[in-house]
Amino acid sequence: MRHYETTYILRPNLGEEKFTEIIDRTNAIILNDGGSLIGLDRWGVKRLAYEIDKEIQGYYVYLNYAAPAKTVDEIERIFRIDDRVMRYLTVKLHDAINAADIEVEKQRLEEEVAARSRVQSEESETDEDKEFDDESLEDEENDE
Amino acid sequence: MSQQRRVFSRRRVCRFCTDKEIIIDYKDAKTLRNFVTERGKIIPRRIYGTCAKHQRQLTEAVKRARQLALLPYMGNTQF
Repeated sequence: MRHYETTYILRPNLGEEKFTEIIDRTNAIILNDGGSLIGLDRWGVKRLAYEIDKEIQGYYVYLNYAAPAKTVDEIERIFRIDDRVMRYLTVKLHDAINAADIEVEKQRLEEEVAARSRVQSEESETDEDKEFDDESLEDEENDE
Repeated sequence: MSQQRRVFSRRRVCRFCTDKEIIIDYKDAKTLRNFVTERGKIIPRRIYGTCAKHQRQLTEAVKRARQLALLPYMGNTQF
């Protein structure tokens, strides 16, 4: 078993049922191959940084799982066929994962989700992201 | 010989080495946005003083974020 995470983007106008259907189908592929789901996180509809297939928004789904390598091939094959999936990205996190690690990972993901929802409630008022990166870049470019 | 020596006031140490709190993660577009220019270019090492190891992780993360449309390939990062 390897440890993977896949993020995929669905068309936003499908409706909740279709989202669930696609997610369930993907999960079924993993379970059929003897893999196990570690975490599923629906980020929901987010604005895309650039247009994909004429859409400016996308429904993000994040999936963390343990599965053999051929499962990933299968999932990606289906994603390529299905044009409701606009984008996907799979990243291998570990070459091997055992049951104990899965539990640890589950814990970590749960904490992460909890932390994020806490941040989200605060973040609406503070937005002081970038301040120093622009200025430092400007004077460096003048030097050259 | 009045060779103008450039003042190197900006010799920084790597931000990720000093601050272990910052985790480089492609899913965290908000943080990554600090490490690209307004137009979406990755800020080079010579400006930020990031160490090689972390710059490598950073570029990887930014490129992944771009694939997922969390960051733009080009264009305004503020939206």
